[in-house]
Amino acid sequence: MKKWLRENLFRSYLDGVVTLVSAALAIWILTQLWNFVFVTGRWEIIQVNLKLLLVGRFPEESMWLVGLSMISLAFFIGLAAGSLRSTGLKSRKVTEIAIDVTRRFGLLLLLAAAIIYLAGTLDALLAGLQVFAALAVGRLLGGLKTTITWLKPIPKALWLALWALLPIASIGFTLSVASLEEWGGFLINFYIAIVSIVLCFPLGILLALGRRSSFPVVRLLSTTYIELIRGAPLFVLLLLAGVALEFFIPPEIAPDVIFRSVTVFTLFTGAYLAEIIRGGLQSIPKGQTEAGKALGLSTVKIIYLITLPQALRNVIPAQIGQFISLFKDTTLAGAALSVFEVLNIGKAITKQDDFLGQGMIYESLAFVALLFWVGSFVMSRESQRLEKKLGVGVR
Amino acid sequence: MRKLSAISAAMLASALVLSGCATSNDTGSTATDTGSSSTNSDSSSSSTTAAESSVLESVLAAGAVRCGTRDALPGFAVLQDSGEHVGFDSDFCRAIAAAVFGDADAVEMVDLETADRFTALQSGAVDVLVRNTTWTATRDGAEAATFLHPNFYDGQGMMVASNSGFDSISDMNGAIVCVAKGTTTEGNAALESSRLGLGWEVRSFDETDLILEAFIAGQCDGWSSDVSQLTGFRSAYPDGPNALKILPEVFSKEPLAPAVLDGDTQWAQIVNWAVLATIQAEEFGITSANVDSIRSSTEDVGILRFLGAEVPGSDGSAVLDPGLGLPTDFAYQIVKQVGNYGEIFERHLTPLGLERGVNALWTDGGLMYAPPYR
Repeated sequence: MKKWLRENLFRSYLDGVVTLVSAALAIWILTQLWNFVFVTGRWEIIQVNLKLLLVGRFPEESMWLVGLSMISLAFFIGLAAGSLRSTGLKSRKVTEIAIDVTRRFGLLLLLAAAIIYLAGTLDALLAGLQVFAALAVGRLLGGLKTTITWLKPIPKALWLALWALLPIASIGFTLSVASLEEWGGFLINFYIAIVSIVLCFPLGILLALGRRSSFPVVRLLSTTYIELIRGAPLFVLLLLAGVALEFFIPPEIAPDVIFRSVTVFTLFTGAYLAEIIRGGLQSIPKGQTEAGKALGLSTVKIIYLITLPQALRNVIPAQIGQFISLFKDTTLAGAALSVFEVLNIGKAITKQDDFLGQGMIYESLAFVALLFWVGSFVMSRESQRLEKKLGVGVR
Repeated sequence: MRKLSAISAAMLASALVLSGCATSNDTGSTATDTGSSSTNSDSSSSSTTAAESSVLESVLAAGAVRCGTRDALPGFAVLQDSGEHVGFDSDFCRAIAAAVFGDADAVEMVDLETADRFTALQSGAVDVLVRNTTWTATRDGAEAATFLHPNFYDGQGMMVASNSGFDSISDMNGAIVCVAKGTTTEGNAALESSRLGLGWEVRSFDETDLILEAFIAGQCDGWSSDVSQLTGFRSAYPDGPNALKILPEVFSKEPLAPAVLDGDTQWAQIVNWAVLATIQAEEFGITSANVDSIRSSTEDVGILRFLGAEVPGSDGSAVLDPGLGLPTDFAYQIVKQVGNYGEIFERHLTPLGLERGVNALWTDGGLMYAPPYR
């Protein structure tokens, strides 16, 4: 212990000073934070407006649909995670599993616990438990796919696609009951991010391939698109989508602000993703393509079998970085398009009669930041795991 | 081979998600298709006379008034935890809906940023703007807005700490004045400073809560904003309202009025009369509580006309239809469902500590005056 301290923290006088100063600073920051969270912070503003912050004006009587779509989404995510494992269910000790889960999702669980505590109702607790149960059941079921023999021959693609119908159906059903305009809060940030991520991924791949294509027209178009979109600030594009579109398309036909923001986020992130994926493609030695040609593979097959899988694997950190950035940028849609999203609500609730002029903006911004921080952190940690599993930087 | 299946899995999944979106798009577009086909037929018939395509018709077709508002202005429009907008301006949005549909809830509140509000009006994203907007000549002219009867006469003032020793704006030599960013407040303060030669340092903040913090920390000598806003923040001040005082000078005129797009006089008159009806109702002494009994018992011809009740005449009884394009009982619906001007004021602005002042009825020496309803 003493030796460790000496070697790592107090090796020289300068080291000692630096250690003491930073320790003092850390303690000061931590006490301030502790004070804010547990002593001075008045969290009733979050408590009272919790539903508004999380799901916006979603009709009370259809709230169970939000729960349903969350549960089915959690189930699918668990299932996908389970079935994509090549090893199947390993018999591990319960304690090991617990430690692993805590390390990976501890923050998420803590946040969920905090929200349930703030909501203070049995329904919230039940909903939270159901979501986690769905995740666990999905994970187990996904694991079975790789162990049960008669399930093995089913192609993974078909298997996943079939189960993907579940969340899609439940979200579609939710949409049919409560129109998109009634969605709001963090839910809308989440869905804008998810839908944009799913849509921009194929777009990015196509653009990246297009920019490397040997057809001049395709190359020119892709390059022009990428450079045009990357050249404009996201905020400007969002403002344009909100303001300019209405002058070209009659307001009765013009899609609502959520469609607009999804479109802008998809187009924008697609352009960035294209350059990231192109970077990955660039890193694959030319010899591999030539080897593919020598084997008589078609260009399409060379791309899908040889270059693209490696390229995508190599650029996981940059891709996830782009997705995290997209997730956080959804708040810009609130500022530019007045989407009823969590930051807008967080700012608006401080003007309610009970909280007016009491400097409650800190509590409300802290809560909004926490939601995004936990989301981004979990995404980042999971991407690191994925990298490790795929052996990025090892081979 | 595994890679191929993994990739095809990913592609299939994304294709599925895409098709899921597409199907939901389809249902959405079929819905809008039917909607747009009907509007298309409307617009094709009226496309030759585009200027005549009436806002009232489109509002009636949509089933709700789209009211441009905001979500965070104490007393005027605040987002409640139930997700509803509550406030003085919000009630005027409801009054317009009550006038058009006889249902005060047939309104869709559209939150607008200060910078977007006129664009939203011009592009037709909202039917009417009741968003604490000052009526100015430039906005009337260059922004293609038609301003109607103001629902609140405001003015910019200055709030200081009670123990600051300032009794008048002219005492505040070289003071630091804090204001909210992006409003006319900023420019007004600078203008007033140079007019009086006081050399203020005007500091702008994004959030009023930040002004409050700066004010408490003593970084601001004065806090300048519309008096209605200052009163609200004074009433909620952590050290009690008496720790602050609002100086007597009001150095700008801010008539806050609803606005509609230029070019549709009928719609402008509808919105105008929705506001005027609340004022007239107060003058008649009709409130949401007594409107029913007054309607059934009164013999005052003016009130009967106003409430859309049958008025006995020489040639039988008749209901007055002023030809505004509204149901004849629109004033009754407004008063019944939203209230008269005084009620709306007391509901939202009196709790902030605001006096009626110039917003009193003309009979009490204020500016609220409705043309005769006949």
